[in-house]
Amino acid sequence: MKGMSMRAIASVAYKEFLHIYRDRRVLLLLLILPPLFTLLFGHAFENTQLTDVPALLIDRDNTPRTQRFIDIISKDKTFRWSRPAPGFNRESDLLANGVKASLVIPAGWSDSLSKGDPKPVPLYLDGSDTNTAATLEGAVQLNLGKFQAGERDLIVENLPDDVIELGKKLPIDIRKQFVSLMSAWSAEAKNLYNPKSRFIDYVFPGIIGLILQLLTVTLMACTIARERESGTLYQLLVTSLKRGEIVVGKILPYLVVSIVLILVVILVTLLHFQVALYQPAALGLICLLFLLCSLGLGLLISAFSRTQTQAIQFSVFFLLPVFVLSGAFAPLEQLPQTIRYISELFPLTHFCRAFRLVNMYHAAPPVYLADLIVLFAGAIITFLGAAFLLKRIEQ
Amino acid sequence: MKEPAIVLKDLSKSFGSVHAVQNLSLTIAPGTIFGFLGANGAGKTTTIRMLCGLTRPTGGTAAIARHDVWRDRQMVRTQFGYVAQRFSLYRDLSVLENLRFFGGACRVPRVELERRIGRLLRLSDLEAKRDTEAGSLSGGMRQLLALACALVHDPPLLFLDEPTSGLDPVHRQQIWNLLYDLTSEGKTIFVTTHYMDEAERCTEVGFIDLGRLLAKAAPRQLKASFKTRLLEIEAEPLMPALVRLRGVPEVLGVALRSGRLRLYAADPERLLEIWRKSWPFPDLKLLGERWVEPDMEDVFTAYSQGYVALLKGANS
Repeated sequence: MKGMSMRAIASVAYKEFLHIYRDRRVLLLLLILPPLFTLLFGHAFENTQLTDVPALLIDRDNTPRTQRFIDIISKDKTFRWSRPAPGFNRESDLLANGVKASLVIPAGWSDSLSKGDPKPVPLYLDGSDTNTAATLEGAVQLNLGKFQAGERDLIVENLPDDVIELGKKLPIDIRKQFVSLMSAWSAEAKNLYNPKSRFIDYVFPGIIGLILQLLTVTLMACTIARERESGTLYQLLVTSLKRGEIVVGKILPYLVVSIVLILVVILVTLLHFQVALYQPAALGLICLLFLLCSLGLGLLISAFSRTQTQAIQFSVFFLLPVFVLSGAFAPLEQLPQTIRYISELFPLTHFCRAFRLVNMYHAAPPVYLADLIVLFAGAIITFLGAAFLLKRIEQ
Repeated sequence: MKEPAIVLKDLSKSFGSVHAVQNLSLTIAPGTIFGFLGANGAGKTTTIRMLCGLTRPTGGTAAIARHDVWRDRQMVRTQFGYVAQRFSLYRDLSVLENLRFFGGACRVPRVELERRIGRLLRLSDLEAKRDTEAGSLSGGMRQLLALACALVHDPPLLFLDEPTSGLDPVHRQQIWNLLYDLTSEGKTIFVTTHYMDEAERCTEVGFIDLGRLLAKAAPRQLKASFKTRLLEIEAEPLMPALVRLRGVPEVLGVALRSGRLRLYAADPERLLEIWRKSWPFPDLKLLGERWVEPDMEDVFTAYSQGYVALLKGANS
């Protein structure tokens, strides 16, 4: 793009800026929505642990022993138990009861425990959401384990003296092993890369990226399409403006606006969610490349569409898979390998990965260089594509 | 002789099997107001768009100041201003902002631009509206602004696509006065219109129909191309007379003009002679007749309806 005139670019950029500034309703949305969404999404994903899940607890045995179990499981914050009246027998109808699970202690359970032939405890789970079901089952198992350990301790305490004497005759290391087997063995977990184990630290680049992707692509997509719709595009083309000057002039004001937005969003996350930033310069570069890539994409959609309505429709078609497959809110590793190849096509995927590599893993540049290159290449390809499509409009 | 401002050689444009413009050849001298006349869909706008380098000719060439309008379009665009048929300035920008934008886009130096904008605002009588958004201007003022924006880089040539369509007579007059001022400065103007009174104001006129150029000459020459003067008759009752006369084989067409019926016929004198001997319509009364000079509307009718028998050089 040789021979581009700063004066011509500045004229286009200033005009484009006036369009943004004059459209007060969109401007207001632009200023309010990103910080608002950040707060909203940030709190929505702040805590991923399930709490206060409504559940039914039915005790058909009613013994001191079942009461001990109920005392333990009642302390678990995962559930909000309700106890139906005696004689209730519709425990499997979760929907009618408005609960996600129901746990039934069968009649004769205490006796079966005493006989050493424990009856299973029926647990009905809402399996529509597989994650919730698995979590609830795990919580019940955990509480059963606690109860079991408590019961074991009671039995050990009340063992007849002759059994204790008998035990003392065993070799010392067998006894030690036996005692150690009585309590659960544990792994010593050390959380690396996210020491505070907060989901917000993981998800916040996803939130930033998603909001910016949405705004930049849809706003940018309207710019050329709007000119085409109102007929001003031809007036623009018969001036001696070069296509490169139009493309750069149109991108510039939106780049400035989105940089302001990114700063606002980051400020909100810093102050409100106390997310720490590592190597701001590297993060800034990642953000810039991501913005250029998104703006270029918007411009490409814009040059491709004939009306603003079409531009918005194309944007939505593009953004929909991005939301689901980009790994903004969940690790990409959960997706099958073939789908992950598609994910690699989205700028948001590379933005989130590079951002996390810097901010969470404190990785060195070579580790995330590939992502930067993809974003940069994306920006170049979309800019050239938009300029090429502008050329085709002339014919 | 001065070098022509525009030269078209067999310029053609087809959209698939639709031939919008066919083998158009034209030479326009500098300082001319060239009126490009034709019905809607005749190919006027397509021709202007080709000259502006907005659409690629499918055949032939067109040159502005000896530069090819397609190949050198980037260069040629500094040589002309273009006012599109549809209002196409930025509605959310003020008068001044629109002028500044197009000036900047055409790389007019800042100081020079401000001086020029001042003059254009005076010329177009928009000084009081300089801070008004273009979208809230009246139709006439919008056209004046569009004209001013097309002139901001001081081009020697101006393309106007139906600049006065839908305007009131006062604004039409204002725009034409402005165009006269511009030609007196030596600018060439290429204007499409379908107002025949405007065609009279051009120094040269070209008729296009179905993509073909039918005639190109000064308005006076075109009017002189009729073989005879035209016959106008007064008859009663008027409207049935119009219908009945259209059915006469020798009559090519009938136009109602100020209560009289103007006849287009190859040999109106013979027709009148016959009618004087025996008037063929007992239910109609012939009240009188007179002879009139053809005007531009007659020229347009004759060319667009293909009444070649009326014109000199046609062997009927």
